[in-house]
Amino acid sequence: MKLEDVDLLKEFTSEQIAKLDEIISKHRGKPGGLIPVLEEAQVSLEYLPIGIQKRIAKGLNLPLSRVYGVVTFYSFFTMTPRGKHTVRVCLGTACYVRGGKAIAEKLEKEFGIKEGETTPDRMFTLETVRCLGACGLGPVVIIDEDVHGRIKPGKVREILSQYN
Amino acid sequence: MEIANITINGQPVSAQVGSTILQAARQAGIDIPTLCDHPALIPIGACRICLVEVTGQRTLITACTFPITEGMVVQTESPQVVMARKLILDLLFSERNHFCPFCEASGNCELQNLGYRYGVDHWLYSTFTKAFPIDATHKHLFMEHNRCILCGRCERACGEIVANHTLGLRNRGNASMIHCDASLPWGESTCISCGTCLQVCPTGAISDKRSAFMGRDVQTESTKTTCNRCSIGCGMEVVTRAGNVLRIKSDWDAEVNGGRLCEYGRFDPLYDPRDRITSPLLRRKGRLEPVSWDEALQSVADRVGAAQGQEIGVLTSSNSTNEALYLLNKLFCQELGAKNVGLLNSVAPKLFDQPRGSLADIVAGDVIMVVGTDPVKDQPVASFFVKRSVDKGARLIVVDDGENGLAPFAYMNLRIADIGRAIEIAHRAAQPIVLYGVGASEAAVKSLKALQGKARFVTLEPGVNTFAAVTFGFNNGFKPSAAKVLYASLGEQDWSGGDMLKAVDKGAFVVVQASFASPLTEKADVVLPTAIWSERAGSLTNTEGRVQKVNKAVEPRGGAKPDWEILSLLAEKLGRKLGASLDEIAALAVQEIKYKENQR
Ligand code: SF4
Ligand code: SF4
Ligand code: SF4
Ligand code: FES
Ligand code: FES
Repeated sequence: MKLEDVDLLKEFTSEQIAKLDEIISKHRGKPGGLIPVLEEAQVSLEYLPIGIQKRIAKGLNLPLSRVYGVVTFYSFFTMTPRGKHTVRVCLGTACYVRGGKAIAEKLEKEFGIKEGETTPDRMFTLETVRCLGACGLGPVVIIDEDVHGRIKPGKVREILSQYN
Repeated sequence: MEIANITINGQPVSAQVGSTILQAARQAGIDIPTLCDHPALIPIGACRICLVEVTGQRTLITACTFPITEGMVVQTESPQVVMARKLILDLLFSERNHFCPFCEASGNCELQNLGYRYGVDHWLYSTFTKAFPIDATHKHLFMEHNRCILCGRCERACGEIVANHTLGLRNRGNASMIHCDASLPWGESTCISCGTCLQVCPTGAISDKRSAFMGRDVQTESTKTTCNRCSIGCGMEVVTRAGNVLRIKSDWDAEVNGGRLCEYGRFDPLYDPRDRITSPLLRRKGRLEPVSWDEALQSVADRVGAAQGQEIGVLTSSNSTNEALYLLNKLFCQELGAKNVGLLNSVAPKLFDQPRGSLADIVAGDVIMVVGTDPVKDQPVASFFVKRSVDKGARLIVVDDGENGLAPFAYMNLRIADIGRAIEIAHRAAQPIVLYGVGASEAAVKSLKALQGKARFVTLEPGVNTFAAVTFGFNNGFKPSAAKVLYASLGEQDWSGGDMLKAVDKGAFVVVQASFASPLTEKADVVLPTAIWSERAGSLTNTEGRVQKVNKAVEPRGGAKPDWEILSLLAEKLGRKLGASLDEIAALAVQEIKYKENQR
C-alpha cells in the first residue's frame, strides 16, 4: 500500500476511499469535472483534507494548486471535519453586552478548541454568529436546531450533556 | 489572412480578424492601459483597467479579451472610460497596502504608473487594513501579499509558461490570495525557482532577495546576452548598476526561450561563491606568483613553441565561446600540429547527418519520447516545453535507466532496453518528437533510426557550447600520459583533474586558463585568469546549432581577459596571425561552424 493511502486510512475507511476513486474515475477526462467530483466527495466524505485533494488532483490530472483554489473558493466545501452537533454562540450586540463573550470562552474551554474548530471526538463544531434575531433571549446559543436563551456560563455543561 | 478595418479614437486601424481590440490598438501604436494582461499569457479580462467604449455596446468592454469586427468604432480615452478607470484604480489602491514610498517596486510599478497617468492623488476610500503575511521562505524570492492586486499573472505564468503549476489563487473576496501548492510556504513548495512569476508581476508583490531595493530601472543598464549554463542558450538581459550585476531577466523576444529562464540561468550566476583569479600567475621556485600578462604569455609561448605537436595536449570546457574554440583549434591543432585534444564533458550520440531539429518542435508533438536525457536537471527550459506539451494533451514516454525528472509527468516510463515499445507508439502518432541525449545507448540509437522521416529529433547536448566544441574536433579521446605540455581551458567549469590529471607526466608543463581557483590551478605552472559570462563578448552555439551572441555587461574582474582574447594574444606571441579583432575572429569561427554543419 502506498504511503499516501496509509495516511488517508487514518481518517477514512477503505470503502470511503474506494468510493472516492469511483467518483474520480466517473469524471476523469471530462472537461469541468472538478466541481462535480468535489461535490460528490464532500457529500460522501463530509470534508476534503489536503490528502483527499491530492488524490483528486492526481486522478483528474490537475494541479493541486487549482483543486485547492476551488475548494477554498466555495464555502460548500470544507477541509476540516464537522462535528455531529453544531454549536453557534451569538456575539451580536445584544448578546454580547449580556455576556455572550463569556459563554463563548466557556465553550472554548469546555471543548478545548477555538471557534471554527471541531472537537477531536467529532461531537461538536463551535461557531460564532452575529445576531440570530432572538435578542430578547440573549445571550443565545443554538445547538443544531434548538435555541437556548438566557444562558449563564455555569449552565453550559448541563446543556451540552443533552447532546451525545 | 483576413483583415478587419476598425476605427480607434477616430484613426482608421486594420488588423487581423480574431485580434483583440488591445492587439489592434498596440499594432497601431495606440496605448490602452492593462494590468492583468500580459502579451505572453492568455488574457482573462480580470482587472477591467483596459475598458474601452465601443459604439453600439451597452457597457464598456475589456479591450484585452474582445475581438475586433469589421467597422467597429472604439474610444479608448472617452470621459466615460476615464471615469471607469479611475474608479478601478481607486479601488485597487484602497485595497491592501499601496503606500508606494515604502515599496520595492516604486518607480517600476505598473499600478503606480497608472495612478500617475490618471491623477490618483488621494485615497477615495479608506484604505484596507487586513494585513497579509509576507512569505520569505523562498531562497531567492519573497512574496509581499499586501502589494498584490490579484491580477493572476504570476499564477498563469507558472502554469502556462513554465507548466509547473505551483502558484494558485485561494479563497475569495477580501480573503483571496496567491498561494503555493495548497498553502505551503513558498520555500517548501514544488516551485523550481525559475523566476518567471517575478518577471511578470506588475507590482511590488514579488521581489528577488538579491536585487531588491538596489536600484530602479532608470538607474540601471541592461545588456542582452545568452545564458552559458547549458546547451539551450536562453536569451537574457543582464541588469547592472555601476559595474555590478544586479539581476538577470529573461528576454521575451529571444527565439529560443521566449521569456523563459531557469534557476541556473536567472539566479545561480548571482550567487557564485567561488574565488576568482584576478592576475596571471607563474610558478617560480615552486610557488605561484602574480606576474604581468606579457610575462605569463611569454613563458607559455616559450614552452609551447618548443614542443613537438604530439607532445601538446589540449583540454577544453564546453563553457568556451565559439571564438575561443576556433582559436584553440587553429593555434594548437592546425598551426602547431597537436592531435591529443579533448572535451571536459560527454557528447550526445550522432543520429543523422542532417541538421538538428529545433526546440520549438517540442510543442508541436502529440507523442514525446525522451531518451537517455533528463532536461529537468540538465536543460531545464527544454523540460518546460515538454511539460507544457503534456498539459496540452501530448503523451510523454520517458526512456531512461536512471532517475528522470520527467518521469512523474510521463504516461509511460521504460528502460532503454525496452525502447521498442515506445517506438511502436511513436509510429502510430501523428507527430512524434524524440528528445535524446548522452544516455541513449548504441542499440537505442539504432532503433531510433526507424523513426527517420516520421519523428522530429531534438538533441539535448550536455555541457554548454558542446556543438561548437565537437565541430572544432574537441571530442576524440584525450590521452593524458602523452602530454608534455598541457593546455587546459576551463573557463568557469569546475574540474579538479580527477584521475586524468594523475596520469599526466609529473614533468609536464601545465597551463590553466580559468576563472576560478581550483585544485587544478594550484598544480599549474601558469594560470591565465579568464573573464566570466558577464564580462566577455563573443558567441555560443546552442544544441540546435544556432549561433547566438554573448555581450559584455560589466568589465572583467582585475586582470582577467575573455577566453578568446587570451588565445589571440598567445597566438601573437607565437608569431601566428589568426585574426586581430573579435569581429574578425567571430566571423571566421561562425563561417567554419556553418561550413562544417553543411558538411555533415
Ligand atoms: S519561480 Fe517559477 S516555478 Fe516558482 S512559483 Fe514562480 S513561476 Fe512558479
Ligand atoms: S503576486 Fe503579482 S503577479 Fe501575482 S497576482 Fe499578485 S500582483 Fe499579480
Ligand atoms: S535552460 Fe539552460 S540556457 Fe536556459 S536559462 Fe537554464 S541554464 Fe540557461
Ligand atoms: S444579538 Fe444575539 S440574538 Fe441578536
Ligand atoms: S488588462 Fe484587460 S481586464 Fe485586465
